[in-house]
Amino acid sequence: MILFVVIVVGVTYGTWKTLTLPEGSPRHLSGPAWRDLVVFGVAQGSVYGLIALGYTMVYGVLRMINFAHGEVFMCGAFASFFVAGTLDSSGFLNRNPVGSIVILILVGMLVSAGVAVLVERVAYRPLRNAPRLVPLITAIGASLFLQNSVRGFFGVQTQGYPDIDVLDGRWTILGIPILKAQVLMIAAAVVGMVGLTLFVARTRTGKSMRAVAEDKEIASLMGIDVDKVIVKTFAIGGMLAGVAGVLYALVFSVVHPLMGFVPGIKAFTAAVLGGIGSITGAALGGLILGILESVGPSLFLNGSHVPSPNQLRDVVAFTILVLVLIFRPGGILGAGGPEKV
Amino acid sequence: MSGRTLAGTAVKAGLLGGLAVVYVAAVGMIGSFVALNLIGEQVTMSRVLMALPAFLAGYLVARPRVQGGVVQRAATGVAVLAGTGAGVLTGAVTAAGLALAKVPSPDTVRGIFERVTPALFHTISFGQSVPTAALLLMLAGGALGGVGALLQMLPETYRRPINVALMCTLLMALLQRLIPTILIQLALKFGSASPREWSNWLYSSRFSGLTVIGSVVVFAASVAVALLWANQGPKLRARAGSLAGNRRPFVTGGAAVAILALLFVLPILSGSVVSLVLGTVGIFLLMGLGLNIVVGYAGLLDLGYVAFFAVGAYMMGVLTATGDSGSSLHPQLPFLVAIPLVMLAAAFTGVLIGAPVLRLRGDYLAIVTLGFGEIARVLAVSDLLKKYLGGPLGLYHIPQHFLGVGFNDPEKFFYLVTAFVLLALYVSWRLARSRIGRAWTAMREDEQVAEAMGISTVKYKLLAFSMGAAIGCLSGALFAVQIGSLEPLGFNIIVSITALAVIILGGMGSIPGVIVGALVLIGIPNLLDEFQAYRLLIYGGVLVGIMILRPQGLVPNTRRARELLEEEIEQDQWGKGTGGPSIDATVAVGGAGE
Amino acid sequence: MSLLEVRGLSKRFGGLYALRELDLDVDEGEIVSVIGPNGAGKTTFFNVITGIYAPDGGRSTFDGHNLVGLKPNKITKLRMARTFQTVHLFPNMTVLENAMVGQHCRTRSGLLGAILQLPSTRAEEQRVREKARDALSFFGSRLVGYRFDQPASALSYANRRRLEIARALATEPKLLLLDEPTAGMNPRETEEMTHLIGRLRQERGLTVVVIEHDMRVVKGVSDRVIALDYGRKIAEGSYDDVAHDEQVIEAYLGRKAVTR
Repeated sequence: MILFVVIVVGVTYGTWKTLTLPEGSPRHLSGPAWRDLVVFGVAQGSVYGLIALGYTMVYGVLRMINFAHGEVFMCGAFASFFVAGTLDSSGFLNRNPVGSIVILILVGMLVSAGVAVLVERVAYRPLRNAPRLVPLITAIGASLFLQNSVRGFFGVQTQGYPDIDVLDGRWTILGIPILKAQVLMIAAAVVGMVGLTLFVARTRTGKSMRAVAEDKEIASLMGIDVDKVIVKTFAIGGMLAGVAGVLYALVFSVVHPLMGFVPGIKAFTAAVLGGIGSITGAALGGLILGILESVGPSLFLNGSHVPSPNQLRDVVAFTILVLVLIFRPGGILGAGGPEKV
Repeated sequence: MSGRTLAGTAVKAGLLGGLAVVYVAAVGMIGSFVALNLIGEQVTMSRVLMALPAFLAGYLVARPRVQGGVVQRAATGVAVLAGTGAGVLTGAVTAAGLALAKVPSPDTVRGIFERVTPALFHTISFGQSVPTAALLLMLAGGALGGVGALLQMLPETYRRPINVALMCTLLMALLQRLIPTILIQLALKFGSASPREWSNWLYSSRFSGLTVIGSVVVFAASVAVALLWANQGPKLRARAGSLAGNRRPFVTGGAAVAILALLFVLPILSGSVVSLVLGTVGIFLLMGLGLNIVVGYAGLLDLGYVAFFAVGAYMMGVLTATGDSGSSLHPQLPFLVAIPLVMLAAAFTGVLIGAPVLRLRGDYLAIVTLGFGEIARVLAVSDLLKKYLGGPLGLYHIPQHFLGVGFNDPEKFFYLVTAFVLLALYVSWRLARSRIGRAWTAMREDEQVAEAMGISTVKYKLLAFSMGAAIGCLSGALFAVQIGSLEPLGFNIIVSITALAVIILGGMGSIPGVIVGALVLIGIPNLLDEFQAYRLLIYGGVLVGIMILRPQGLVPNTRRARELLEEEIEQDQWGKGTGGPSIDATVAVGGAGE
Repeated sequence: MSLLEVRGLSKRFGGLYALRELDLDVDEGEIVSVIGPNGAGKTTFFNVITGIYAPDGGRSTFDGHNLVGLKPNKITKLRMARTFQTVHLFPNMTVLENAMVGQHCRTRSGLLGAILQLPSTRAEEQRVREKARDALSFFGSRLVGYRFDQPASALSYANRRRLEIARALATEPKLLLLDEPTAGMNPRETEEMTHLIGRLRQERGLTVVVIEHDMRVVKGVSDRVIALDYGRKIAEGSYDDVAHDEQVIEAYLGRKAVTR
């Protein structure tokens, strides 16, 4: 409790100090500067949201945290990286940007889905009935294994993603300049979210997923092939993460084997923030986390002359994670308290 | 590997085996281990890696399967045939991989898969053209698979010792940097004129692996010991268990003295390089013991253990550093004064991290502690705390001399670490058997009922965190002394996961298990540089593999094994009072892992 | 003053009243049975007075101490122990260890004692072992000797129930709450349990409250019977009084059964 109060007080104080900074001071941020931060946050949040969807779906059906999901994201990015490289060297990339992007996204989706399904089959399925601790440890192991396999295959260095000229520059939407790549990210996230919600609500598979999430045993008694449903869940979650991976790589222009770790944890934070098990929650959580993370360090800390607040961006995310899990594990949209075991 | 038919299983095994070889090649292990000789000059680690999947495929295919509720074993001939088939398939898949990789230009392949070099091709294809290589691979694979199946078909009394012997030989081969040094040092101590003679019969000084003779000797000796143990073992154990009460302290005392003598002598015999490795093993062993209390005893999965390690290291650094250390605080306290302060900080951190997570369930607890670990890392590197912690450059000039001893000498440091390790071992052991240990076990099995029995879960969870923190901080402080400086980037989640892997491999809640885990996971990669690059890959594989195949670890704690496997324990095992262990016996002697 | 005093106790789950203004007394040395159809609120009653649920209204006092707001471990310390409807043993701990856990609330040795093996700690451990063995010996030869070291999961169902009671006994209670102790037992075991409950008072001086469905047990054991239905007390008195009470018959068998 005390912790909570301390943080609220600190945050409010910090914010107030920042907003009352005089115009001339070096730490002051102008309106446009804030706006850019917010836009960046929204784009970032879209990525988190897409990845979070995978977490939330797997948690829904298996009640486990798929620690390796961040690596699924990374694999999609890597796969598209190689394809992009080939396309780039043949010139196709810039001659046919729309087609290229579509191909890249498809490749990313496919590979990510494949990796996700593989992990489920090898690491999680044998442990379906084990005590909770066991799949969690396995997931950590799988994550480590994937990271280092990729390192072994492709090398430890960060690799530069080819530039797609058409994506340079900004569009002005509603008077706000947004990087074209960012627009793509946000659009993809929206499409993904809406698509998934419709899928889960309307299609047969979606209904099976909801049934399995409610009660695995009874669902199987109703004639639902639980294994197949779980595979599909992982596949869809993987696909969305793959899309996120490709777009992330496009925006930040790099891939490296460890790129999935921190976004993975942040996406999980987003899922929990919005209410784990809820699709809208994942979207909402991603958005909020993205903005808070982008705007937060500057907003809370600039006024207090904390050096290099952006270093602490990750701290903002992790603190949110800790706070949400302690005080409201059900998330914003979920129930208020933890489930009784 | 459950196939419906033997043929199906063989196909599956063969395919998986082949993919395993391709994977290991692509990840670079085959390339890196080419120079690591195991036996003679021909049996290198990379050849072993190529051979193992085929052998294992054959071995596993011939396993008895459960079909229709009945355990079935194929006839020997059929099984060997299946094994051979699986082996051939493995070879075929490997060859296919080889051929595929040659299709695009070498540069394209290399551009993507870094490790697929011409040298690698050479190794896998035995220097032959693709078709010849394919034939060789399939033949070799088939032979290996057949032998593997044959081994599986041997009766248990023969198969067990052979398996043990194979693993012992492998282990001895891997210890090629350690044992020759020990033997030579022993020779020198005994005044031998040609000390190298002592080790040359076993390990070649030319190519640093086991000699052929040496490997045969090791193999034979292991088989003999294994057979002997199988025969006489139960009798010996019964004798040990039924020792009269007043004789027992002598036996345990004697064992203790022997172990202490060994530890004293070890660094002297193994030289400074190995002592350095042993020192690191010691530090991780210490961490493992601390984490064992949190995860193994109290059942709280802490993924942010590195936070305690960092706090301990930085506390020691800040408190004792001299000169331009990078921190603006310079109390320059002596080591012995700093230690209690570190423990104090430890207790404080333990409560700080433990208090918020008290009500959290398994998964969430893990993630929150992970979050704390990451926060610790970010803060250590940050500019915010740069004034005190040195920022990205870390801290320097941490004194390594005190009490008149220079602990930058690895041998001396080993003694320091060992002293603390022994202390931690003792404390862990005592705790496990005490009222506190009981409370933790009860809490782990059924929190609600434990609460109803009068156990305050809040108090005991905090206690577990504090103890874990104390030992973790201690290991961090020792780390600071070992290196003399601190670099913040090293305090990351990998440290937490390494500690976790150590206790998982050995067995959660099992003290001998932690020791085994540390020796295997820290000792071997540090002794053999070739493994260093694949350390994390191996850790990941170990975590997954252990959880699927043997969740109770290598040297399990009996109770935990039950929890994880939920097997029926035969009533016979618990004895009619004489042969089996009893509570009293466990208290006095210290039974396996408890 | 009664050992256990409950006034106006209420507990709601959403809109459903599991307990509604319950008044109840148990005097020292009594054996009281609580009966009622399924869903009457009997186990909820146990859960509320032992601190697992917080009541939504009313008071409960035990031995002069107020129970409301106390956590379960505190209540056990006050010498009120219970067993559970479904057996909740520590499955992977041995029989003896299960019983020893019961002694936890009566012992004090802590960290220092454990590490340094102080004489007081060792003496206490000895005592704990003795008391645990003593609690187990209450069941004759069923839970002693070689059984001490068997994991609790290896026991037969009836033995598990007995172990649960032994564990509760080891907490040295004044009042013992037994939740359906004979559920799932065959007639011989049920009869044995009936005698056992009587012995709990005779040999150990305990006060016992038993939730039961088996009327033979209720008849054989109780000084007093309390009947609950829909969270309310509908009858109280001797077995014969309650067994023939109209409301009780209606609660169990329906209105038509009353006209007999």
